[in-house]
Amino acid sequence: MNRKRLIAAGLTAVLSMTVFAGCGGGNNSSTAGGDSAPAADSTPADSQTAEADGQTGSTEGGKEVVIWDYFETDAQKEMMQKLIDGFNASQSEYTASHVYVPFSDYEKQLTLGVASGELPDLVIMDGCGMASFISMGLFGDISDADVKWDEYIAGPMESTMMDGKHYGIPFATNCTALFYNKDLFDAAGLAYPDENTTWDDFKEMAKALTNDGVYGFGNAATNTDEGTFQCLQWLYTAGGSYTDIKNGADAYQLMQDMINEGSWTKEVVNWTQSDVNNNFMAGNLAMQQNGPWQIPGIEANAPDLNYGVTVLPKRDADAGQATSILGGENMGAVKKDDMSGAVAFIQYYDQTEVMVEAMKMYGSFPPKTEAAKDAYWTEDPIQSAFITQLETSIPRGPSASWPSYSAAIQKGFQEVMTSAKTPEQAAEDTQAAVDAVK
Amino acid sequence: MKKGKMKSGTYLGFMFTLPAVIYMLIFIGYPMIENLILSLKNVDVYTFAQPANQQFIGIANYVELFMDTNSIMTKSIINTLIFTVGSIFFQFFIGFGLALLFSKKFRGCSFFRGVTMISWLLPVTVAGLLFKFMFASSGGIINQFLMALHILDTPLDWLLEPRSAMTAIIVANIWIGIPFNMMLLITGLTTIPSEVYESANLDGAGKLQTLFSITIPMIKPAIMSVLTLGFVYTFKVFDLVWVMTKGGPVNATELVSTYAYRLSFEEFLFSKGAAAANVLFLILLVVGCFYIKLINDEEEAM
Repeated sequence: MNRKRLIAAGLTAVLSMTVFAGCGGGNNSSTAGGDSAPAADSTPADSQTAEADGQTGSTEGGKEVVIWDYFETDAQKEMMQKLIDGFNASQSEYTASHVYVPFSDYEKQLTLGVASGELPDLVIMDGCGMASFISMGLFGDISDADVKWDEYIAGPMESTMMDGKHYGIPFATNCTALFYNKDLFDAAGLAYPDENTTWDDFKEMAKALTNDGVYGFGNAATNTDEGTFQCLQWLYTAGGSYTDIKNGADAYQLMQDMINEGSWTKEVVNWTQSDVNNNFMAGNLAMQQNGPWQIPGIEANAPDLNYGVTVLPKRDADAGQATSILGGENMGAVKKDDMSGAVAFIQYYDQTEVMVEAMKMYGSFPPKTEAAKDAYWTEDPIQSAFITQLETSIPRGPSASWPSYSAAIQKGFQEVMTSAKTPEQAAEDTQAAVDAVK
Repeated sequence: MKKGKMKSGTYLGFMFTLPAVIYMLIFIGYPMIENLILSLKNVDVYTFAQPANQQFIGIANYVELFMDTNSIMTKSIINTLIFTVGSIFFQFFIGFGLALLFSKKFRGCSFFRGVTMISWLLPVTVAGLLFKFMFASSGGIINQFLMALHILDTPLDWLLEPRSAMTAIIVANIWIGIPFNMMLLITGLTTIPSEVYESANLDGAGKLQTLFSITIPMIKPAIMSVLTLGFVYTFKVFDLVWVMTKGGPVNATELVSTYAYRLSFEEFLFSKGAAAANVLFLILLVVGCFYIKLINDEEEAM
């Protein structure tokens, strides 16, 4: 009987812990999924080196400037280290260092940081998330800084601003375009897609390329903002916008038709951008929608892959170039009493040649109109396709409520892709959900 | 019994519970109350930084959660119930079978019992990733296996169809939870004195009769504990589902825990997220009270 009592007491203790752990709901649980940001993607080879490397950089002398980032690939980490070394060598007043925070935890850590006050001086984050955090009071006004504001591309610039005030600068910019596997096209006897490819052409191509184990096309449609980032362009190209779903309903029709034909693989509803790229590298996809940050990974893991990149297919022959969605990072200055260190680093990065060097290593484009015209990008046939696509790229939002819009929009795409609803019904319901966002 | 003696005994009793009470007040009571207060306010991305604009709005968050057309909250509670009942049913019977097996002494018994524990020791996120690969539509081992046995003709989109996605996460969770059930039941089985079995044997009881008339009634407290604890554990599972499906496709595997997380940390609707977490807490509190009553009744019966 004593023993029984002991067991009971032990179990009660366990239960009380559990019940109360339950009170935090999922809030206490940590996630360790392997998902990547639109621009913080990692390939399998890179993820082995994605350990938390903590603070790096020299520690001698000067006021500290701490930067948070979620860079995981070797190329990205190297770029960051070089940037910091360059800044530390350029002056003696400040010493910069950076801290790696995993992407899956990034916004949670920032939110908790706003509440607790434990924050770095600078935050590098996904551009479309910045508006929410400006609204939450994470960033401070740096409109007085000596930055050449008018040199920046308008879309990325807007995502660092609110009510006419500047809270940081765009760090990197990119967009998605259409990758195609030349060998698979040659084998099928098809002409490569180009800037004249319409949705109808694209649909035919994908169908012709689909056979035993190979799908015509795939993109990332996971139910996070990473999925919205890739799916939203179809809605815009069809004539809709993030607040006007109904006019983009043709995109729903195209997706459902192609998925029913099997030429657009249904597995995309669980795919992140790395998943898409891995399947493209493995030859399982004839075409993929993806961004320039995948190029270093393809070169490292599939050096023999014979592929090309062009702009995304346009609506029809009379339509202009397809819209793409801007991705990339912003660098925001955290609101503090003394923001001079953050401003100094931003001013250092504002120099076009510093920015261009960093972006060559990073696999994205500098967010300045002139800087992106560097021969490194314009003379490379693959890179230049992205530069062309950037011309018709638009930001997500910007809205402090973007996460709610994103959730509603991506639910609509998933409903269409899994055939849970007809395109008409999904358009109706998603429009209602978007209208309900405050 | 003298009155004075009882008084001092009560006093001493309070002293003994004091450390636990203080611990619970600070680390459990405070966050719970804060969470309750948060759920009654309008804290979202716009008011987070402005305490002046944070107002009490009563139970509006709770009403909104449940009254929305196509309420995800209601759906997630139903999903969580399906997930929990489905998981526990199989976990319990498989765990019970294994417990009976491993309570027999045979060669290599402790080795195999140890091996069975692996699924409990493996980090849940790792197990989640493993099952995500295994359930993959093309190249997943489960489809390959079922097709090799000619049970399936074409690969099944396990994680892409609402029903099969739920099945997949339940299967993964069953695998994880079996050792927990097994160990608690083995502990229960060891409390049965061998004399009882001996006399049953002498009286000519068969194997099945022994199981139903002796084993099960004697470990009934352990069985009830396993079921209630299992319910609580399973009801608040988060990491497994987050890794495997993130609540998708189209909220088909959205549990209350993943929904609360999504609201708070993805959509920054902090008050609504707190309200969803409180609903989860409330459900588990009821189960917890039931469990404590069960333990008390059992002790009185002894």
